[in-house]
Amino acid sequence: MIKPELLAPAGDLERLKIALLYGADAVYIGGTFNLRANADNFTVSEIQKGVDFAHSLSKKVYVTVNIAMHNKELNKIIDYLKELDNTGVDAIIVSDPAIIKLAKENTNLVIHLSTQASTLNKEAAAFWKSEGVSRIVLARECSMEDIKDIKESVGIELEVFVHGAMCASYSGRCVLSNFLTSRDSNRGGCSQICRWDFDLKEDDKDLKGEKPFTFCTKDLSLIKYIPELINLGVDSFKIEGRMRSAYYIATITSVYRKVIDEFWNNPEDYEYNLKYEQVLRRCANRDSVPQFFDGSFGKDVQYYNGRIEVTNQDFLGTVIGYSDNLMKVEQRNYFKKGDLVTVFGPNDEFDMTIEKVYDEDMNEIDIVRHPKQIVYIKCDKKVSNDYMIKKALSTIDK
Amino acid sequence: METVAIIKSFNQANDIKELVDAFILPIKDYSINFESSFTLDEINTFKMLGKKVFLAVNKNIHNSEIDDLKEKLIEIDKLNINGIIYYDASIVKLKKDLDLKTDLIWSQEHMVTNYGTINYWYDKGVKYSYLSSEITKEEINDIKENSKAKLFLNVFGYIPMFTSRRHLVNNYIQYFNLNENGKNKTIYKEEKHYPINDKEHGTTVYSDYILNILDEDFSDIDYLVFNSFLIENSEFKEVLYNFKNNIKEYKFPFNHGFLYNETVYRVKKK
Repeated sequence: MIKPELLAPAGDLERLKIALLYGADAVYIGGTFNLRANADNFTVSEIQKGVDFAHSLSKKVYVTVNIAMHNKELNKIIDYLKELDNTGVDAIIVSDPAIIKLAKENTNLVIHLSTQASTLNKEAAAFWKSEGVSRIVLARECSMEDIKDIKESVGIELEVFVHGAMCASYSGRCVLSNFLTSRDSNRGGCSQICRWDFDLKEDDKDLKGEKPFTFCTKDLSLIKYIPELINLGVDSFKIEGRMRSAYYIATITSVYRKVIDEFWNNPEDYEYNLKYEQVLRRCANRDSVPQFFDGSFGKDVQYYNGRIEVTNQDFLGTVIGYSDNLMKVEQRNYFKKGDLVTVFGPNDEFDMTIEKVYDEDMNEIDIVRHPKQIVYIKCDKKVSNDYMIKKALSTIDK
Repeated sequence: METVAIIKSFNQANDIKELVDAFILPIKDYSINFESSFTLDEINTFKMLGKKVFLAVNKNIHNSEIDDLKEKLIEIDKLNINGIIYYDASIVKLKKDLDLKTDLIWSQEHMVTNYGTINYWYDKGVKYSYLSSEITKEEINDIKENSKAKLFLNVFGYIPMFTSRRHLVNNYIQYFNLNENGKNKTIYKEEKHYPINDKEHGTTVYSDYILNILDEDFSDIDYLVFNSFLIENSEFKEVLYNFKNNIKEYKFPFNHGFLYNETVYRVKKK
């Protein structure tokens, strides 16, 4: 059995570094032809920097090139693929088979098939294997039994989404954005119409519940199923979210890192730790369920909340310096002297009570209320710039 | 250029047979986004009408369906129909493995958007492609000029724009314990009604308008598709009649969809 890869999203170089430092074995990022046109996508030189950083840690970078091309993209794609090849990226993630052909003819790029291709069965997986694809990102509608059968039957690397938001549709089979907002969902313009509210009518009569109709579903989380996924032989555990914050990526990645390692290092004595589930729930601030993996896609998987989502303020700040027993912190949410907080870094986590806080002029203050406010917090334990501060879980009403 | 109709029943097909060259028949259990579907026996009877028959096997194929699908494809191959409209790549592999003689039509709905990919599938033995409805007329013409495959194009009817495995209507009805009467449903937003259909294999949402590009010249496209979904049989027949007889008056307004309305694709600039 091979230890699976933990694959995290990264919207920019900062988040790429955070993801890798907090435990990801690999990151996936977007460049020019990808499905997050409004993310801070990487230029080729930034991709190069990301690749250099990842490789210095013996980790990997995959670049999404997963649009459904239109004619005009055909002429531009070859040069871009060659540029990617020169950066030394570890693979590209592709959905349009014309790109597979062009990449094979013009580069030495390793090719992963995107979930946009909606691979749900062993025959399709075998087809793509024969086309030179080395890994398949399975469709999110696959069940545990499907994954097992595909893995055993085809023997190709499989990547499975383990955490994050879900498309309400089959991936690639939704152009609501095109029709409702003139933005091309299969070329990076998805405007998440599936999160909108609608009125449902039967003939001219309203079918109205206490909340409006929506396609919106709860998020995916397979944190409970890490042992099963490892035993199935899944090669890569993928976290969704190239638009997500550094805090989100650090938190989700580190939790999955811990669970994978805990099971891998001692499978006989492994026990599922409920605390991790709480951490994930607080961080995403949305309910999450196993979705199709355990066959659940009924009414209780839907999210009828009238678009009202209560935001929490758990993330308090980012460490941007440390000297003389003082953490220099950039504020993200309100906190005050006397609060119990958790300070966490890539391989470290500790609780402390905030005893003293100073403003930029070193005047002692009691309350830190302004976003991006720079303050100094007394902290006897040395921390580094990639640390973050959040509310201690024990202080949060669960 | 040939005229193809997506129909709801044998009677309807019989009624319009003089006005069309071919039918698209959704197959029971393996088609999605259509109003009706047909068993293999029923499909066989359509052949009596003397028109070309294309079968839609266009759902996403789940792993548990593969064994049954193989048997179904073998049976379909014996029917001597003109082509299988597919979405899932498994069908390309199964055609080869099972040595099926029936031609394939690549119809990955919203992804048939460039001639490079159409030619890719052509080289895999797929001789037809069914164009997406979200591309411009200029793109359609470029594709025609640069691709080897024969092309299908939607020219009249509602367009599917969302397909989910989830039972989104039934989930809502169950969650809020509502009473429904099994009639046609729509979702409504900002004065627009979008037909929504929740059936055995999941949910489909359609455009709020009937695509009608019959005022445009697409005579060089091989197959022009008319979809009767949610349209009265008599009105549908009239559309076909007028088209066949070059009468440029239609009860339904012209609606060009994306023909002159390119969707935005923009990577954020730094």
